[in-house]
Amino acid sequence: MSRRPRASGYFRTGYGQDLSLVETRTERWSLAGLLIVLLAFPLLASPFLLDLANQVLLASIGAIALMLLTGYAGQISLGHAGLLAAGAFTAGILYKELNAPFWVTLPAAAVVGALLGLVFGLPSLRLRGLYLAVSTLALHFVVVYCGGEYEAKRGFSTGIMIDAPTLGAWTIAGGRTWYFVLGVAAVATLYVCVNLLRSGTGRAWAALRANETVAGALGIGVAAHKLLAFVISSALTAAAGALFAYYRGFVSVEVFSLFLSIQYVAMIIIGGIGSMLGAILGAVFVTLFPYGIEAGLRALTGTQRYAGMLFAVNYAAFGAVMILVLVLEPLGLVGIWRRIQTYFLLWPFKHRPMARPHR
Amino acid sequence: MQLAVNILVLAAIYALIACGYVLVYRVSRVMNLAHGELMMLGPYLLLVTAAQFQSHWLLAIAAAVSLSLLTGVLVYVLLMRKMTGEMVLAAVLTTLALGILLRGVMVLVWSAQQQYPASALSVVNFAMALPGGARISLISALLVLTTALVYGGLFAFLRCSRWGIRMRAAGQNPLLAAQRGINLHAVYALAWGLSTLTAALAGILIALDSGLDQTMAIIGLKAFPAALVGGLDSLVGALLGSLIVAAAEVLLIHYVDPLLSEVVPFLVLIAMLVVRPWGLFGTREELDRV
Amino acid sequence: MKARTWPALATAAMVMPLSAMAQDAYVIGLTGAMTGPPASTYAPAVDALRIYIDRVNAGGGINGKKVSLILQDDSAQPGKAAANAKQLITQDNVILMLNASLSSTYAPVAAEAKQANVPLLFASSVCPQSVYPPADPLQFCTTAFAANYDSRATLAFIKETAKQPVKIGFSAMAIPLSRAEMDFAEQQAPAHGMTVVGKEVIPPPTPDYTPFATKLKDAGANWVFSWAPWVTQVRTLEALRRLDWHGDYIAWSHIEAEGELARLKDGQFYVVGANALFQDHLPIHAEIEEAAKKAGVQYPPQQMAEGWIAGMVIEAALKAAGWPATPQQLALAMSNLKVDTKGLRGGPIEWTKDNHFRTRQYYRIYRWDPAKGAIISVKDWYVYDVK
Repeated sequence: MSRRPRASGYFRTGYGQDLSLVETRTERWSLAGLLIVLLAFPLLASPFLLDLANQVLLASIGAIALMLLTGYAGQISLGHAGLLAAGAFTAGILYKELNAPFWVTLPAAAVVGALLGLVFGLPSLRLRGLYLAVSTLALHFVVVYCGGEYEAKRGFSTGIMIDAPTLGAWTIAGGRTWYFVLGVAAVATLYVCVNLLRSGTGRAWAALRANETVAGALGIGVAAHKLLAFVISSALTAAAGALFAYYRGFVSVEVFSLFLSIQYVAMIIIGGIGSMLGAILGAVFVTLFPYGIEAGLRALTGTQRYAGMLFAVNYAAFGAVMILVLVLEPLGLVGIWRRIQTYFLLWPFKHRPMARPHR
Repeated sequence: MQLAVNILVLAAIYALIACGYVLVYRVSRVMNLAHGELMMLGPYLLLVTAAQFQSHWLLAIAAAVSLSLLTGVLVYVLLMRKMTGEMVLAAVLTTLALGILLRGVMVLVWSAQQQYPASALSVVNFAMALPGGARISLISALLVLTTALVYGGLFAFLRCSRWGIRMRAAGQNPLLAAQRGINLHAVYALAWGLSTLTAALAGILIALDSGLDQTMAIIGLKAFPAALVGGLDSLVGALLGSLIVAAAEVLLIHYVDPLLSEVVPFLVLIAMLVVRPWGLFGTREELDRV
Repeated sequence: MKARTWPALATAAMVMPLSAMAQDAYVIGLTGAMTGPPASTYAPAVDALRIYIDRVNAGGGINGKKVSLILQDDSAQPGKAAANAKQLITQDNVILMLNASLSSTYAPVAAEAKQANVPLLFASSVCPQSVYPPADPLQFCTTAFAANYDSRATLAFIKETAKQPVKIGFSAMAIPLSRAEMDFAEQQAPAHGMTVVGKEVIPPPTPDYTPFATKLKDAGANWVFSWAPWVTQVRTLEALRRLDWHGDYIAWSHIEAEGELARLKDGQFYVVGANALFQDHLPIHAEIEEAAKKAGVQYPPQQMAEGWIAGMVIEAALKAAGWPATPQQLALAMSNLKVDTKGLRGGPIEWTKDNHFRTRQYYRIYRWDPAKGAIISVKDWYVYDVK
C-alpha cells in the first residue's frame, strides 16, 4: 500500500503492523515534531497569520474531500464551490429560520451535502470524464441560484449573518480557538479518508479509477461505489462549507463563485493527484499564493500605487503556475517532495537499482 | 415576431461561439475552457488595431481577426502541443489555467474598465425595422450573417478542401491519419487557429453591439451547454443546440422568470446528458478517455 | 512619563510583534474592489481618496500629523476582504477602517471592525441599513446612493415630470441589493398613481439584453426606472432604444454617468444622483481636475467626486478627533460632525449620534440636451430629511 520512498526494505513482523499508519521510529518522531509545531503555532503567530492558517485548514478539508472523489475514485467534479455553498447555506438558513444550534446545523449540512452528492452523482452512472465534469457544473449553478433566491426573498441583501457557534457553555470565537477547532476537523477528515482508502471501499475506488469495465468484471458494484464516493466527498465538503460560514460569521452567494471550484481543482492538481499529502500541500500553496505574490510585489515596488495591479498579477501568476505544474511536473508538489526524498535516500547514487527487492 | 428575432440573434451568438468548442474537440478531444477568454481577446486586439488603422474599420477588424488566428496557432504550438499524450483531464485543466492567465494579462494591459470598440472604430449601430414589426440592430444582423457565413465556410472547408479532409481524418483516428502522412501537429494548430478566429469574431461583434468588459469570458461559458446539447463533435449539432438553448432562454425570460435563464441551459444540458450523453448529433464514442 | 509608557510598550510589543510601534501619523486602512469585475465603480473613488490624502499630507497634514492611508485590494471577494480587515486592524493598528467594495464584503469587514471597536466608513460602496437612524455606533457612510431614498426621489420626479399616466417598468441586476431596491420601488409606485407593468431581473453576464427589453416594451411601459450597476442600467436602455422604444428612462447616476450621457446623447435619458456633475464647473471641480492631472491618474476626473467627498469627511473627522486619536475618540468625533462639501453635494454631510448616513439627503437630476449638445440639470436639489 505504501508508496513512500524508503532507504531500505521494511519488513513487518506481525499482522498488526500492517494496519498501523505510523510505521517507523523516524516517522513517529517527525510526526511528534510536526504536532508540536502545529500546537505551538497559534501561541506565537499574529492574528493575521492565524487567520491565514485557518483559511488553509478550511481549504484542506475541502481539498481532501475533492481528492477522495477525483484523485482516488476518478470522478471529476467542478461543482465543489456549489457543495460548499450548500453546506454554508444549510447552516445559515437553519440558524436564521429555526435558530438551530451548531451541533444541529453541522450534521444537517453534511446530510444535505450527502443528498446533493447522491443526486448529482447519478449522472456519473452514465457519464464519464469530461461529460461528468460538465454535469457537476450544473450543480454549482443550481445551488447558487437557490441561495441567491433565498437571500433576495428574505431580504438578506448583504449576506446572512451568523453568530459565533456555541457548544454547551463554550463559545467558539477568536482565531486561536478556531485554529484548534478547524485543526481537529481537518485531522479527523484526513484520518477518516486515509482509513477509508485502505479499506475495501478504497480499493474498489482505485479499481474504478483504473478501469471501470474490469472493476465490474471483478465483482465490484460500480454504481454503488461511484455514488458512495460522491456521497462521502459531498458530505465532507458541505460540512466544510458550514464551518466556513461559522468561521466568517456570514454566508453570501458571492463567496462561492466558479473560480472557487477552479481553485479547489487547482489545489489537487498542483498538490499532486492521488495523494492526500498532495491535497494538503495544494491547499497550503493555493491559499497562501496570493498573499505571497502581494508581499513580493509590495517588497519589490514598495509603494501603494501598484495595489491596483495586484489582482491582475495574482490572477496571471496563478494561471502561469498552474500551467507550469501541469506541463513540467504532472505529479505536482508531491512529486517534487518525493524526488527530494529519493535524492537524499539514494545519495550518493542517482538511480534506484534496476531490480527492486520484493516487498 | 420580435421573439423570433431575439431567439435568432441569441442562437447566432451561441452558435458562433460554440463552433470553436466543436473544432478543437473534434480533432483533439480536448474541451477548451479558455475559449471565453480567447473570445475576449479578440475585441481587445481590435482596440489596438483600431488605434493603428484609425478610420478603416474593415482593416482594423481584419487585422484583429488575423492576430487572433495567430494567437490560436501559438497557443497550440507553445502550450497545447506539450500536452499531447498526457491525460485528457490534464489538457483540459491546462486550458483552464490558460484562461486564468489570459484574464489576468488582459486586465493588466487594458484595465478592468468598460470599453467601447464601436466608438473607437466610429461605427454607428442603428436599428432596422423588419417585416412583422420586429427590429434588429445592424450589428446583430451582421452577427447572424457572420454566423451563417462561418458555418457555411466551415462546412465547405471540411467537406471539400484538402486540409479540411485531413482535419476530419485526424479527428476520426489520429494514429491512422498520422500513418497516412498527415501532419497531426499542423492539423491541430489549424484547428486551434480557426477556433480562436471564430471566437474572436463572436467577441468583436458582441463588443461592438454592447461594449466590452470583464464579464465577456463568462458568456463564452454560457455557450458551452449549446455545444454539448448538440454533440461536442458535430457542427450541425452545435447549430441546433444553440437554437434549442437560445429558444429555451428567450421563452423563459418572456413567459416565466428571467432569473431562470441562468440555470435552465444547464438543466437542459443535464437532461440531455442523462438521456443521450453524446448529444443530438454527436458520434457515440467510448466516453472513458480520462 | 517614561516609566508609564514602558509597560504599555512592552505589552504592545508582545501582542503585536509585527506592528509599527511608535506611530507618528494617523493610520487609516481601506479594503476595496480596486480590481476584479466590479472594479470600475470603486477603483476611481479609491484613487481620488489617495490623491486627496496625499494633498493633505503635502499641505502639512492634519493637526500637524501626516495621514497614512493603507490600501488593500479585495477584488470584491468577501474572504479576501475579511483577511484584509484583520490585517489592517491587528497588524497596522488602523484607527479607521474604510470599505469601498461590493455589499457582500460588508459583513466580514463589519464583524472585524466591531470586534476591535474601530469605526468603519463606507466610502463609494452603497450605504448599508445600519448607518440609518438608529445607527450602529461604529458604522458611517459618505456614499451618494442610498437604498429606498433613491427610489422615493426618483418616483417623485417621475410623477412631477410625466405628462401622461405613468406605466412604469423596472430593470434590476440579479444581485440582492439591486433586486431589493426595485422591489421597494415596485411597492411604492402605486401610491404615486403609477401602474407597474413589469420588473426585469437580469443576470450579470448577459450577451444580449434585447429579450429583457422586448418584455418591457411589450408590457407597454412609458417610463423605465433602473437602480443597478451601470452596465445593466445602460444596456437595458440601449436595447430598448434599438427596439424603437420612445419612453423615458431614468437611472442612478453612477460615477460613469457624465461620460456616458455624452456618449449616448439621448434626450430622454435622465440620471438621478446626489453628486453635482462636473459640467457645473464649480471651483471644487477645477480643484479636483487639477489634482488629478498633477497625480497623473488613469481615470477621468469626473469619476473622482465620490472619493474626494470621502477624503473631505475623513479630514474633518480626524481634525475633530485631535492628536493622538484612539479609534474610540474618532468614533465619538464622527458621531457629531458637519462637513461642508463645497457644492459637490446639495448640502453638508451631517452626522449625529444616531444618524450616520446624513441628516439630509439631496438629489439632483440631469439629462443630455440634444438641442444644446450638453448635459443640463432638469431638477435642482430635492431635499429629503432622513429620520
